[in-house]
Amino acid sequence: MTDRRVVVTGVGTINASTAGGRDALAGALALGRSAIGPVRGFDTASLASRLAAEVDDATLASLIDRDAARRLSRICRLALAACVLAVRDADVPSGAGLGIVVGTEYGDFTSSRDFAHGFLNRGPGGLSPMIFPNTVMNTMAAIAAIAIGAKAPSVTVNQATLAGDLAVARGARMIADGHAAAVVVGGVDELFQEVYQRLAEMGALSPMRSRAPEGCRPFADDHNGPVLGEGATFLVLEELESARARGARVMAEIVETAWGNVPTAPHTGRATRIDERSPVARLIRSRGDADVARCYGAGNGDPAVDDWERALLGRDLRARTDLVPPHSLAPLFGQHGGLGALRVGAAALDAERGPGTVLVHGIARGG
Amino acid sequence: MSGPRRHARSDVVVSGLGIVSPYGLGTKSFWSGLAAGACAIKPVTIIDTEGFRSRIAAEIPADVMGSLGASRRRSRADRIALAAAREALADSGLAGRERAESGLFVGAVGGGMLEGENWYWDEGRRGVVSPRMRALRTILPYSHAETLGWRLGLTGPKETVVMACASGAASIALGADLVRAGMVSAALVGGVDALTRICFMGFNALKLLDPSPCRPFDRERRGMSIGEAAAFFVLEDAERCRARGGRAHARLAGYGMSTDAHHVTAPHPEGEGMIQAMRRAIDDAALPPAAVGYVNAHGTGTLQNDRAEALALRAVFGEGGVLVSSTKSLVGHTMAAAGSVEAMATVLALQHGLLPPTANLEQTDPDVAFDCLPGAARAADVEAALSNSFGFGGQNVSLIFTRADS
Repeated sequence: MTDRRVVVTGVGTINASTAGGRDALAGALALGRSAIGPVRGFDTASLASRLAAEVDDATLASLIDRDAARRLSRICRLALAACVLAVRDADVPSGAGLGIVVGTEYGDFTSSRDFAHGFLNRGPGGLSPMIFPNTVMNTMAAIAAIAIGAKAPSVTVNQATLAGDLAVARGARMIADGHAAAVVVGGVDELFQEVYQRLAEMGALSPMRSRAPEGCRPFADDHNGPVLGEGATFLVLEELESARARGARVMAEIVETAWGNVPTAPHTGRATRIDERSPVARLIRSRGDADVARCYGAGNGDPAVDDWERALLGRDLRARTDLVPPHSLAPLFGQHGGLGALRVGAAALDAERGPGTVLVHGIARGG
Repeated sequence: MSGPRRHARSDVVVSGLGIVSPYGLGTKSFWSGLAAGACAIKPVTIIDTEGFRSRIAAEIPADVMGSLGASRRRSRADRIALAAAREALADSGLAGRERAESGLFVGAVGGGMLEGENWYWDEGRRGVVSPRMRALRTILPYSHAETLGWRLGLTGPKETVVMACASGAASIALGADLVRAGMVSAALVGGVDALTRICFMGFNALKLLDPSPCRPFDRERRGMSIGEAAAFFVLEDAERCRARGGRAHARLAGYGMSTDAHHVTAPHPEGEGMIQAMRRAIDDAALPPAAVGYVNAHGTGTLQNDRAEALALRAVFGEGGVLVSSTKSLVGHTMAAAGSVEAMATVLALQHGLLPPTANLEQTDPDVAFDCLPGAARAADVEAALSNSFGFGGQNVSLIFTRADS
């Protein structure tokens, strides 16, 4: 068996800046305007953190059938909208050859809260059998798979910071291994009041109890934490030959993927630790770094993530100091499960314009 | 940069097993319980069940939890995952760099939700800030992989797979992909779930829990019984395992995955996706269906699952064409762990030449055209066996194991 070549043939996104296919994403990136602003969806007056990048509800409503919207939780609506946009952008056929990989950090916490509230307020009689399935994180993939007719494997990966990137890597592997001819891959998260509030109380969000102003400033001297965003971004990956055969517009090829773990205590980072077997080092050993035109990174303003990523890339790309620190999209869209897919989408657009290869890197607390 | 690397496909063997199950700690106690046909489903003790239709589950006994060395500050699920993973790695004999470079693929759903619920219930009922908020740090499913990766010093690819009740089986298939592709020479794979209120209440709300211990494939079945467990495998490139003098428990000959794309909770009524997953696994293993002598069924004991699975089995193997049993009748439905728990039962059945029974099965549903091994384990010389796992969202995973010497 040999690896099949994997290409990107479509984009679908709904985020705080824009909604649409590859052109919408290209427009938002070209504009470069941050969608971060004061939280509109809930009261943050008692918190030190008050910023987020929120999806406009009217935009989301315009993308979802009204009957479907009534039945679906908000995060499912986000995932569904972006997957449908991606499939439309690529015009990829549904059926037994189409798979889906969804990355998420928090899943549908809103439904878990609503389900628990039913019990806490009214006892066993208050439990909703309709809400319960949403408490399982694969519900977004299930809803989207039904809508786009994806009958090849449907996988959900749960990961901090890198959920979208990891979904892309896994989807590429599924095509390379012959599990699917095409896979819709990406990530989704919603801004959820309780998560926002608890993270702010724990000092996990900007301004992280620092004196510097709240804001998302990856790799800056005064970076002081991430700002949460929300949204869903999905790409369509296809096997090169089948994409060519159906006349798809190929944006870019994913030439290689690598991922690994750095043994680190949960929720911590190690700014000084250099990983001898880092995925970037493996890729560079395999392919060299001479034609890398740009590098996107996961740095999101969290000093633990920023400093670690800068140290790792500084070592692994020491012949290419122009690529470090990497380019971060967190200031535009906020940190959420779809951000990794936005990074890969941006890289695919860069690669389509050429010349050169684009490197997408990420690291998360917990290794 | 040039095009993608080309890999020759590797054979994958199971070189390590580890489990914490309702029977206790370790593979030996698990197999003893299965072989004896002992049903571990009993009244629930760790959460309040007042007012619910079903009040039973297969819990990990308190003395077993007490014997686990892990810190009490970790979640219940993290503690059993760590114990099972340590057993699997020790059993494999992997050491040094080979062990450190292993991948890690964890099937999970509930994460540390039990402890998160303790906090939330505290605050919800008393209206005060609870010191139990620390539990939020381990509430998400990926906390297991973070804990295992850190404590076991693993540096290979790490993934947390959430595919509902097929999560544990999917972790095996997705880990095997990377071994086959040569990206890692070994992978620690498996699933974990502890009992949580949300899960227990949710299946009660759906009226999918039997008030009595579940009776998969019985005409009087009334639903499933919940369980909790952690089960991990070490998968390894067959050549590498042989070269280092490792022992193979079995060969992972093939696997197949599919999605129903039909309904969020109900399986496709004709078992379309189930058939697809089983056929893909059989094709992947390059075996004729008749070579498969035993199926460890998903077998939840719900009307919808059992009927759809029986239809799918008939389509793949023909009426009565294979021996079938459900481990869930013994240790309950262990949710995200179920796929790896039942894969382990399948591997041990091949090793021991003894097929675990379906407990509590008195009168087989006439729609289930198979010998479902009621009551007692049965000796059988089986060369290849298939383990089915299906989940909410129409997720279907089938794994085929063959004997290590086949």
